[in-house]
Amino acid sequence: MDTLREILGPDFLLRNSIYISLLVGLVCPLVGVYLTLRRLIFMGVALPQVSSCGIAFAFSLQAWGVIPHMHEHEHSLAFIGSTLFTLPTILLLSLLMRRGGGSVEARLGTVYVLAGAWSILLLVTNPLGEHGLLDMLKGEIISVSNADLRRTLVTFGVVVLVFFLFLKEFLLVSFDREMAITLKKNVIFWDALLFLVIGLTISMAVLSVGPLVAFGFLLIPPLIAHLFARNMLQFALIASGIGGVSAFVGFCLAYRWDYPVGPTDVALLGLIYFLSFIGKKLWLVVRKTAPEQA
Amino acid sequence: MVEDSVLTLEHLAVGYGRLVVLPDVNLSLRRGSFTGLLGANGSGKSSLLKTILGILRPLGGQIVLNPIDGRTPVLGYMPQRESLDPIYPLSGFEIVLMAACGRVGPGRFINQTEREFARQCLAETGATGFGSKLFSQLSGGQKQRVLMARALATKPDFMLLDEPTAGIDAHATRAVMEVLKQIHAQHHLTVLLVSHDLTTVRQYAEQVIWLHEGKVLHGAVGELLTPDKIEELLSLEFR
Repeated sequence: MDTLREILGPDFLLRNSIYISLLVGLVCPLVGVYLTLRRLIFMGVALPQVSSCGIAFAFSLQAWGVIPHMHEHEHSLAFIGSTLFTLPTILLLSLLMRRGGGSVEARLGTVYVLAGAWSILLLVTNPLGEHGLLDMLKGEIISVSNADLRRTLVTFGVVVLVFFLFLKEFLLVSFDREMAITLKKNVIFWDALLFLVIGLTISMAVLSVGPLVAFGFLLIPPLIAHLFARNMLQFALIASGIGGVSAFVGFCLAYRWDYPVGPTDVALLGLIYFLSFIGKKLWLVVRKTAPEQA
Repeated sequence: MVEDSVLTLEHLAVGYGRLVVLPDVNLSLRRGSFTGLLGANGSGKSSLLKTILGILRPLGGQIVLNPIDGRTPVLGYMPQRESLDPIYPLSGFEIVLMAACGRVGPGRFINQTEREFARQCLAETGATGFGSKLFSQLSGGQKQRVLMARALATKPDFMLLDEPTAGIDAHATRAVMEVLKQIHAQHHLTVLLVSHDLTTVRQYAEQVIWLHEGKVLHGAVGELLTPDKIEELLSLEFR
């Protein structure tokens, strides 16, 4: 209780960290809903890694002298690097998926390991940024400036607005592409916009909380919500709600026991998923046996 | 071009990439007609349907949709239910509501009138009770009724159905076809029904298109589906 009072107090030093955790927890599951429904979960693993590689590459450009050092704008630089790597990758992967042929898993696996390997190589060859960069990629959610928070808030605000405004178009082209064509929808445009928003969210999430936590929030809340949702609105709201609550509770637990925030969040999500799964199975058994007993 | 036709196909070539399935299709569908599209597996039934719908690009020739009251006819499409991924937690009502996307532009929300109309369409296909249920948990026949309601909710002039009775039992087949017959009569729709079920087509359709090895036979049910003609066509199929 004391921890909670301290965290909610007006003078709490890590206020921005908890805000950013909450933002990631609330918004990433909304994107994860589409990755889950379009059966692109592996993309949710590969893309954060690509995003990390983009961040590492952007910092390496500084180390190699290609671009000048800009300490005050490191966050912007990282965001640009992350976005420039993530967006073309997601568009290319979705295009290859749409055209068919070859193994999707093999492609995503290759992207994942290559991006992971290059991230490490770029890190170890960068004499300047190893410490700070490593923290960023590990998802250190401790030092978040007001500017970082504002940037994340604006980006996620745009993401939520786009999802809210174009929900029916995204849903139609995802669920029944053929029907969308017969209704004269430009399916390529709507697909591209959806992937753009997914890419942007992943870039920002990786920058804020690192690839592991970003993937955790992209994947696990939608999987939990899928167990209970009876329609799409419920699916999105439950997923986002679970993400938000887990982010807050995870932060409190991590602060209380002095654990790293990101892994605590993911472990908590895993526990909720496990309990929800068991709970759902038990409920199904009870419902099945109830009429027989009656 | 036939007078009062809703659709005219002129030297239409259908296929995928370099693979031509139907090289030269020429036919017209009369407004308000009920046509069955028959043929063996791989004969190009679904490909022809998807080309008419604009899902597949024609490899050659022309598709002419003749205006109705000065506007392009609206196409209502009912896909094969297996083509829809059951992972989506969509209710029957949400599925039908998708049809409103043709009228409600991007960034605008589906209003109460459209919602009420979706409910009416569910009622018309006898699917009111399935509106609140998860689409993925409905039976084959129930799904077909919901999909038919969705096609109807596009306010179509021309309804195109891809194997609506595939994989459902005789009772459900009859129920689905009776609903379709009723809709056809009430709304004066043109119907093109892809099926491999000869009995169903003979019972409900007025016209038949029979695809066989790239050739297209088109005629009245009474002419094309006589026992002698069927025997002749089937012997061609199995030869």
